[in-house]
Amino acid sequence: MSYITGPEIVKYACTCGLLKPLPELYFCRHCSQIRCSFCLCHAVDSFFCGKCSENIPSAEARHKKNRCANCVICPSCQQELSTRVASKGPINPDDAKSAVKKSYYLSCHFCHWTSRDVGIPDQPSATGCWPERENVHINRLQEVLDVYQDIMLSQQQQKENSKKKRGKFVSYTDRTGVTASALRRRIGIPDIPHAKIKKPKPLDPAIAKSEVEELPEDIFTEPLKLMEITTIDQRLMQPESQPLTVDKLFPIHKQLTIKRSLRCRTCEHNVCKPEYNPTSVKFKIQLFAYYYIPEIRFVTVEPLRAGQTSELIIKFTNPTQHQTTITIFDLDLEEQEKYVEEQKLFDIIDNFEQAMSLEEKQQLSLPSLVMSSGSQPSSMYSLQSRQPSVIVKPRKINQAVNCNVAIPESTFILPPRDDAAEYDDSSDVHNIEDDPKLVKWRKSNKAFIKLAVTPAADLKIDDEVVCGFTMQHIYTNVIPAIVENMPHKYDHKVRVFFRLGKIVGSE
Amino acid sequence: MQRNNIKVIPGALVCEESKLRGDITIGAGTIIHPNASIIAEAGPIIIGENCLIEEQVKIIHRLPFDQQNKDTTPVLIIGSHNVFEVDCTVEAPKIGNHNVFESKCFVGNKVTVSNGCIIGAGCKVTEEQILKENICIFGSNCQMRECIDKPAVSTRKQLLLI
Repeated sequence: MSYITGPEIVKYACTCGLLKPLPELYFCRHCSQIRCSFCLCHAVDSFFCGKCSENIPSAEARHKKNRCANCVICPSCQQELSTRVASKGPINPDDAKSAVKKSYYLSCHFCHWTSRDVGIPDQPSATGCWPERENVHINRLQEVLDVYQDIMLSQQQQKENSKKKRGKFVSYTDRTGVTASALRRRIGIPDIPHAKIKKPKPLDPAIAKSEVEELPEDIFTEPLKLMEITTIDQRLMQPESQPLTVDKLFPIHKQLTIKRSLRCRTCEHNVCKPEYNPTSVKFKIQLFAYYYIPEIRFVTVEPLRAGQTSELIIKFTNPTQHQTTITIFDLDLEEQEKYVEEQKLFDIIDNFEQAMSLEEKQQLSLPSLVMSSGSQPSSMYSLQSRQPSVIVKPRKINQAVNCNVAIPESTFILPPRDDAAEYDDSSDVHNIEDDPKLVKWRKSNKAFIKLAVTPAADLKIDDEVVCGFTMQHIYTNVIPAIVENMPHKYDHKVRVFFRLGKIVGSE
Repeated sequence: MQRNNIKVIPGALVCEESKLRGDITIGAGTIIHPNASIIAEAGPIIIGENCLIEEQVKIIHRLPFDQQNKDTTPVLIIGSHNVFEVDCTVEAPKIGNHNVFESKCFVGNKVTVSNGCIIGAGCKVTEEQILKENICIFGSNCQMRECIDKPAVSTRKQLLLI
């Protein structure tokens, strides 16, 4: 685990220009590009409670304010509370046969907080309908919420009205493009304002007071009892009441957890899709870069001295079922800059073309417009060009490199991954001819590579040394939809950065 | 070399593999698991009734540096119904009744433990203080809170073990 959570020594550059360690990256098989969580479209798949693993529909989750109805957490330490049995004596002590009366209370195994601490009475049933705390400001909050809802409705209507006036080619923001008023027009009913929508009633504004309650006199004289005062965390867990003292801490409903799916913004294919069942930790689709891009791990480096060449050893691992050839190129950050500029240019051209085509369409559809005098084409147009998400523009890689890597002239081969190889000692023979200057050692799908690195001459002691190169590997595409018969192979390049460590003093 | 002087009151269960050094008295009903070490370095240790001392527990009677070289030999009295869970280190000079020392906790030799306290798993308490009754220390930041009543685990746990 320390490898995943540990220091980020080797970082890969995402297509969008951000640097991330390999386990945090995804690989879109359809675009054959690396994607990171910033350039993917996130969508909530399902809500569930992490304790009882109950799946909760999104409407219900919203209604319950994204909290589980049954599970509660400790207000003192935010761990999950468990129900405990407290058996009181028999109901009538004289009759030996009478059943023992059981009662239940909540207790935290971690900080030993119990529901008895704050005087919540024990419940007769284990599932416990624990008393809910009423928010003292509920009426006011409801009022404010209602008013905002009204404002929202009236604004929506206004927008529709204004669209009707302007008429032509404004695409609806609604995803469907078919709103109530558009439908009315389509079936030929005159568009009348919705009867239900009234003008929002203005709310009584909150009044600012300059007079506040005086501090109690004993505040400076009484010794502070830290045991009785809640911490900031405890207060913020209960935003409605924000209790000042520990005797007002009440159990909190557990917040729901989500499962999310990730989608490539460019091709709209799913990159990561979990299984719906909350108890399952598996994925339906999991295109993690870890499964497609050769993994590079830092092995060792000689002490780094400014201007002197040191030997760096790194390990390459091929995670795929296909043999790959790795070539190391210069980092060439200028190329990336160019790419960024190009993308910007494309964007401008795209926008321009879009604007042109829009105008053309406008001109084309003008006659029909005059006849139908409705905004039907606009809604049709909006239906066609459904752009689901904003495409993240690539940016410059923001990482300075202060160490030169001698680019090797030869390439090397990584054999495919073989799960059985670990248990098989005999198959350690390779028929691969390696450049002994480059490959130090290899085993199954791994190869240890020797590189010469030279930190810049102007570095001082304790300066962080960062080097990088472009790795090219052969990516084998195996999607049947794209490939007909033969696996389709092509070169994929990725920029890799290393934090080698600090400059040490002279010998 | 100090001579070992160990008194075990009938009813106690002391495993042979446990490491006992110095003058130690063990009360009735107390269970000492194998590989627990009790070291009476500065003076005798008296352990009360129905205590549970689990594996790898270290109870060390060691005085702070500023209190050494005194004529009187202090006695470490550990009360009844205390639970020392696996791999905790306790050097407290005085321990009351009904305390729970959870796994891998550390109590320094300047901390006096009264009654009904719970030192949470992994918590380190070293600052000079007297823990009030029913104090519970928990979490990675050693948060402190006051419980309403004594922890009721000790007797049940022992019953399970026997």
